[in-house]
Amino acid sequence: MQKTEHIIELAGYEKEDLTVCLGCKICASVCTVNDLSISTSPQELLQTLFLGKDIAADNPLVRYCTGCYRCTHACPWDIRVPEIVRALRDDLAVGSPFEKAFKGSVAIWGRVYEPYVLLKAVSFLVKEGYLKHMNRWIEYMGIHLPHKVKAINSSSNTGGSKGKKGGTL
Amino acid sequence: MNYGYYPGCSLTGSAHKLDKGVRKVLEKQGHILKEIPDWNCCGAFEYGDRKELTNFSKRNLEKARGLFSEIVAPCPACYKNLKEADEKKEFDIQHPLDLCGEAFLSSMKQLHDLKGLVFTPYYGCILLRPRETAISNKTVMEDVISRFGGEIAGEKVKDKCCGGNQIFINKFATERLSRLILEKSKGTMVVFCPLCHMALKTFSGDRKVIYFTDLLLYIMGEKNTL
Repeated sequence: MQKTEHIIELAGYEKEDLTVCLGCKICASVCTVNDLSISTSPQELLQTLFLGKDIAADNPLVRYCTGCYRCTHACPWDIRVPEIVRALRDDLAVGSPFEKAFKGSVAIWGRVYEPYVLLKAVSFLVKEGYLKHMNRWIEYMGIHLPHKVKAINSSSNTGGSKGKKGGTL
Repeated sequence: MNYGYYPGCSLTGSAHKLDKGVRKVLEKQGHILKEIPDWNCCGAFEYGDRKELTNFSKRNLEKARGLFSEIVAPCPACYKNLKEADEKKEFDIQHPLDLCGEAFLSSMKQLHDLKGLVFTPYYGCILLRPRETAISNKTVMEDVISRFGGEIAGEKVKDKCCGGNQIFINKFATERLSRLILEKSKGTMVVFCPLCHMALKTFSGDRKVIYFTDLLLYIMGEKNTL
């Protein structure tokens, strides 16, 4: 399978679904990334993907898309660019230490256990200057023991993605 | 009314106050919440494979099947993921904000009003977008604040993004976006999303950031929730 098709399929689309993009760029005009003074265009990202060209890990949307769905809401065809960006991030393997810890927790317990996530990502949090916010977080953090979710019964009908990933808790 | 309850991971930890608030408010209104047994994480926004993401919520719906037909999910990410996984619309998946209709409000016991207090009702992104999973009444928080005498501010920022999704990835982005919202609003920030709460509270300084349930509990007579 071509890389383009793979990413589009990961995002739950088919290539034809994206041919409806009219190139109006309304997505670019409402994108939250603009508020970071970083110029970006979801439409150009779609076009690049559609043409089968590589999208780099430092593409502004790959780095900074907040998943706000403003683009989707403005789009005449409701194209879900944040989900395509997420698929791209997966494909480019650009997950942050936090995302890796999040997924690690889900793999162990079936749930996100926040103390584990913070601990696993501690070197990143120290390096990136998060410690100064700890006092604020402690004000409202709840302390509890993790709950371990039982494994999914393999016969249950979860409509899975053929084994490899989906439904393996 | 009996509801299946899906708290989601945040509400067992950093948003436990929202969990307690939702349970308390709905209980006071005569609803019964029962947790979906052995529920798992909904995957939030961390999985690029849509099938993989959907399967998390499909399992939760499997766990609810036969026990509940109506499900309440307070966290916007969980709510969206559950709703999207219910492809055949077998369940009535509701956000607590959609339960705050006229019947709910007129039956609410009011012990405090909000006169003289200023609030910015802040919805953020996922309660309002994408449109397929958005809450039905997009001014529900304003309706409650004005009904009980409070002043509303910050209309222009209610649907802006706080960057909460990026708080543990690119902190500067969250800081910049959250500060923009805080600067263009007034009074107490009223939120419903655990991520928005975390992002705004991290950068809010002396400004108050509360959950909408805190506001309801105050109106219902609780002290110290504002």
